[in-house]
Amino acid sequence: MRRSLILLIITWFCTHTRTLHAQEFKVLDRQVQVHGFASQGFVYTSANNWLTMQSASGSAAFTDFGANASMEVTDRFRIGAQVYDRNLGNLGEWHPSLDWAYADYRWKPWLGLRGGKVKTTIGLYNDTQDYEFLNTFALLPQSVYPLDMRDTNVSHSGGDVYGDIPLGARGGVLSYTVYGGARSDSTYSGYPYSLRKSAAPINLSSYGGTQYGADLRWQTPYPGLLVGVSRVNQHDEGHGTFIPFWNPTEGTVPYWTRTNASWINQYYGQFSKKRLRIDSEYRRTYVDALAMNGTSTASFDVRGWYISGSYRLMRRLSVGSYYSHYAMTSVYGGILGQVFPPRSDTSLPQNHIYDKVVSAKIDLNRFWNVKVEGHFMDGYGDGPYPDGFYPGDNPKGFKPNTNALVLRTGVSF
Amino acid sequence: MKTTLLMLINGLLMLTAMNAFASDIKIIANTSVSSTTISVSDLKSVFLLQKRTLRDGSPVVPVLTKSGPSQDLFVRQYLNRETEELQYYYQGLVFTGKTSMPKQLTSDAEVVEYVSKTKGAIGYVNSTSPTEGVKILTVLSEESKFQRTLLKRMEPEYPEALKIRHITGNVRLLLTISPKGSVENVEVVGGNPIFAETAAKAARLWVYSAAPSQTKLEVNIAFEPGP
Repeated sequence: MRRSLILLIITWFCTHTRTLHAQEFKVLDRQVQVHGFASQGFVYTSANNWLTMQSASGSAAFTDFGANASMEVTDRFRIGAQVYDRNLGNLGEWHPSLDWAYADYRWKPWLGLRGGKVKTTIGLYNDTQDYEFLNTFALLPQSVYPLDMRDTNVSHSGGDVYGDIPLGARGGVLSYTVYGGARSDSTYSGYPYSLRKSAAPINLSSYGGTQYGADLRWQTPYPGLLVGVSRVNQHDEGHGTFIPFWNPTEGTVPYWTRTNASWINQYYGQFSKKRLRIDSEYRRTYVDALAMNGTSTASFDVRGWYISGSYRLMRRLSVGSYYSHYAMTSVYGGILGQVFPPRSDTSLPQNHIYDKVVSAKIDLNRFWNVKVEGHFMDGYGDGPYPDGFYPGDNPKGFKPNTNALVLRTGVSF
Repeated sequence: MKTTLLMLINGLLMLTAMNAFASDIKIIANTSVSSTTISVSDLKSVFLLQKRTLRDGSPVVPVLTKSGPSQDLFVRQYLNRETEELQYYYQGLVFTGKTSMPKQLTSDAEVVEYVSKTKGAIGYVNSTSPTEGVKILTVLSEESKFQRTLLKRMEPEYPEALKIRHITGNVRLLLTISPKGSVENVEVVGGNPIFAETAAKAARLWVYSAAPSQTKLEVNIAFEPGP
């Protein structure tokens, strides 16, 4: 029923996009704006099921949408909220979430405060990764913005201090964001799914903790050139249930895990000139945790980077290409260490994904786009920090290479 | 023969004028905006929604046109972007809750009307569009650090051949003003080239207030025949 309703809404969007526009009305004599977006994708892979979809048979279980309302209470003070929902293979499963909801007071251009649930600023696209219409690509480079791990860092409940500091005509503009708060992953997101589908299944009922970090970006005086750096620190705990595989007679017992260290470093640059945009980012994710109720340790080190270029050939046609490089190493200790050997050789297909991508985007009008994209992947990187390929979705094992065709259409107003 | 030649010259003049019209814009503001000038960096910050006040403290609200030559020219010249990229930039801010979508109207006439009625509104229109009820802001180049007051202004001569044919237009000049206030150099940076020489000749005679150092200032001179 819910699926039919969603499809009905998307069909309506697709047939009414020419008349779409943001809705505006007044509440207490203040202007309220309402905006929304939706997208539908189809993925076919030559081998291996990808992104928790049955993509080797062709899958359209790739839908998302969101809507927001915001109001400028005064020149400096604004409030707003956005609801987001998605169904990506076995993730999301149509459980809507409050994407962001906050109050924002901008005292000066160089000093503003936000409080509530806030999109987390990491790199070029972490806070806008759900909005496919902003990019030429149907999928952002998965080595840095993995679709299945979206919930991990997309927002935090807490506060931001931010601002833009002009450095003079020859110095450009320096923008900063410093934030702190709490992260809470949906149980329908990638990490809980990976544990549920593992050889020793764990059902997480909660996963999250404190999160704090900063982003600093410099719009250089050279026109169109931006460089930046982001850092995130996290202290997470997960709780749930599992059957200890070393003593299954115990039956289902409570489970906990806790990070000792968890951080992300990201470095990025962007150059845009006229119709050309070139992006490059490097993200390192490191996690060291106590797992299996303290009986084991698990640490993994993920290094992802990409370089992408997109060019607007015509007003309504853009093309682009990127190379995305994902490599992961992991080490287990304790009970898990006796079962899972360390992974240190990133040249093996199970420890990397090298993805070459070509893409085209057609803007049918101001509100509606269609994208066609080809992925040519070497490796399947199925380690403890998943990146699209899950053993549970590929019970017959993995093939080393995967080609994928991605079609995606989206509307926004 | 003489009539044919005159018609040919007239046609060429009209064509030149029309081409120039399509490639020039002026910045307009509501009369509540106290400033008469705006720097290029302020203009960029205001339209990229990073700043809501000008250097003199005047609160401003940007208004854009949805499409068209004025939009493309403004976005390229002052924001260093393409129109489509600007739209994506705005959407990125709106969908992360960082700002509201700025007002976007369909024609210059709508922009002028909106700016004239909305406190703090600032927009841009084609230089040939009527701008009744709004003030025109002079765009200061990046090098301008000091406010200059125009003390002595010589009006440019309106070429008779253009005047009788009711050919109107604007010329944008970049003036280099000495610390003492005299105009040291004049560079034509836009507008209708058939008015450029006479505009530059007049501007060389202008005198500004003194300042601690040399200043660059962009000015717009309008040629419109009187009643």
